[in-house]
Amino acid sequence: MKKNRKIFLTMLFSAVFLVALSAPAFAGNVYKMGLSLAITGPTSDAGNPYAKGVEDYFRLVNETKILGDDTIECTIRDDQYNNDVTKRNYEDFMSQGIVFYLNYSTGSTMALKKDFEEEKMPVIPASFHAGNLIDSNYIFLPIASYSAQAIGLAEYIVKNNKKGVPKVALFIHPSAFGRGPVEDVQKAVAAGLKMEIIEVVEHGKDLDNTAMLKRLMSKGVQYVISQTVQSPVATMLQDAGRLGLVATSFGEPGKITFVGCHYTGGNDLTALAGASAENFYWTTSYIVTNEPSAGATAQLALAKRYGRDDKAANSHNYANGMMVAQVATEVVRRAKAKGKPVTKETLYQELLAMNGNNSFSPGTTVGPVTYSATDKAGVDTLQLYVAKGGVFKSIGKPFIPEYTSKIK
Amino acid sequence: MSYFFQLVVSGIVVGSIYALSALGFVLIYKSSRVLNIAHGQIIAVGAFITYALTVWANIPIFISLVFSMGITFFLAMSVERVFLRRLIGEPIISVIMVTIGLMSILDGLVYLTPFGSENFSFPEFLPTTPIGFGGVSISWTQMVGVIITIIMIAAFSWFFKKSTVGISMRAVSDDQLASMSIGISVPKVFGLAWAMAGLSAAAAGSIIGNITGLNFETLHAFGIVVFPVVILGGLDSILGAVVAGIIMGLIQQFASGYLDGNWGLNGTGGVAPYIILLVILLFKPHGLFGIHEIERV
Repeated sequence: MKKNRKIFLTMLFSAVFLVALSAPAFAGNVYKMGLSLAITGPTSDAGNPYAKGVEDYFRLVNETKILGDDTIECTIRDDQYNNDVTKRNYEDFMSQGIVFYLNYSTGSTMALKKDFEEEKMPVIPASFHAGNLIDSNYIFLPIASYSAQAIGLAEYIVKNNKKGVPKVALFIHPSAFGRGPVEDVQKAVAAGLKMEIIEVVEHGKDLDNTAMLKRLMSKGVQYVISQTVQSPVATMLQDAGRLGLVATSFGEPGKITFVGCHYTGGNDLTALAGASAENFYWTTSYIVTNEPSAGATAQLALAKRYGRDDKAANSHNYANGMMVAQVATEVVRRAKAKGKPVTKETLYQELLAMNGNNSFSPGTTVGPVTYSATDKAGVDTLQLYVAKGGVFKSIGKPFIPEYTSKIK
Repeated sequence: MSYFFQLVVSGIVVGSIYALSALGFVLIYKSSRVLNIAHGQIIAVGAFITYALTVWANIPIFISLVFSMGITFFLAMSVERVFLRRLIGEPIISVIMVTIGLMSILDGLVYLTPFGSENFSFPEFLPTTPIGFGGVSISWTQMVGVIITIIMIAAFSWFFKKSTVGISMRAVSDDQLASMSIGISVPKVFGLAWAMAGLSAAAAGSIIGNITGLNFETLHAFGIVVFPVVILGGLDSILGAVVAGIIMGLIQQFASGYLDGNWGLNGTGGVAPYIILLVILLFKPHGLFGIHEIERV
């Protein structure tokens, strides 16, 4: 009796031990990633939907088994737009053994650039600052840089200006984020883009832009290219509307046509500026949800699946977050498909190979994502939109700015 | 010439709103000698309450504004009662540190709401066609903002000059011990000062929110933006806040209108007020209307 009991217990413990050993194999591998961004604090109007896009897409990947039994565990932390906190978060992620990192702001991306190089960590930030790519091998911009966006807008102005050489002012954020494209636009002009830059205005926390707008009008400025966030643009547009300066059609004589890069527009601008956002021209590489497309349907379905409100669901920054998660997932999928181990090294190699026939179309962008050793800006294509009736609508077809390659 | 007059009008409009925003600092400092660093957050909270009542509760905006002012009145009074009352008699630096902590608490609470990370704008309730005269234009929103500012500043000036409570508050500001000796409750005066600052903050926040849209970072930054106004006016003078507000508004507009874009200058509208502030403080260290206290030892 005692012997039987001993055999039974031995068998039981052996079985438990074997099940415990085989459990990780049944569960699949877990790939750790990290995202540090401003969910609260400055710029959180962009960061909050961005975080939701990342979170929702990785949940979808895990729940619908896009990677089979393998899962992605992406830790998302709020850094309140504080570079020191971002650095701390990144170091903590590193100690957890992440294989891919998603960053957010221009400042922290620039500050951590050396760390990314030393750690050989592939990184996609939410900042499209061209300076991120200088002296860096591991930072990959998701879409065209701010410089490319501003140059694209400048090219559109030159092509569609009705008479003479267009006079342009740049309205920029007083930071590296805002100043980034100025030099590149100036280079494009020097390289032959027929446009006159009248003034570069660095805005403050202005309650009223009357003086600035009147000054620009007195200098004959016809176009204002904005590279900042939505709030100062909203105030400027409201003042311009009051002063009767807003062009109702592109390049309307005697008025100013307002155009802007990715973070100046979208539904956050219409939320802030209301009717004053009407006729604002905006460029980004992302689709908008009010125009039917497979990407828009997927974006809205994802947001609905995880109970997001309409504001987040329709945000281009939700698309932004979703898209970087799509790219991160795709490189994992490709590495696995080739039988490679999923490490930061193999994911980096997969990013570099994402070009030609291997380019990736996430659907949330107006063109494919292409990376190589010499091209670290993902989607090169831009789409111009104009605010009409409270929503942004496409104008023309997606385009790639010509002067971005000419000034390299 | 219309260019010049447009800058003057815009300067006065902006200056009036600065004055109203600065009023909260002045009211608290006037009675308790405390600089409330969290005033910008109270401005933002006031704007959000007005928005919530207007849009979510469908209350007409002017009634929402009155309710919002009432709510921030009691909110600020409660803040004083809970956090600051027990610090009476403690060093001023401790009290200021508490207001810095209060700023973080209010930030955290706002971040828990949609207002912390989303943008909103008030529904249009005024004509969109601006008021124009002689080539100068002003929006209805700005005009209403200026009118509200004038009404509030006049009401506060009357309150401090004519009402018994207002005179009591001035007495406390002048000498707390002497005020107590004649039966004035100093803690109650402090509470009332905070409450009135909350009330003015809601008005300021709602006006700014109507002009810039509702973005938490933009709104609470006004607590810092109006700081030169408060210092220049003399910290404890309502008239000083008004005069300094308008001076700052005009300097900003003129600097931006005449200096920026010329001689390689840029962003002078943001810097010029601070330069003028420094120059004036060199000659009048207590601000334009600040009380120069003489201590006899």
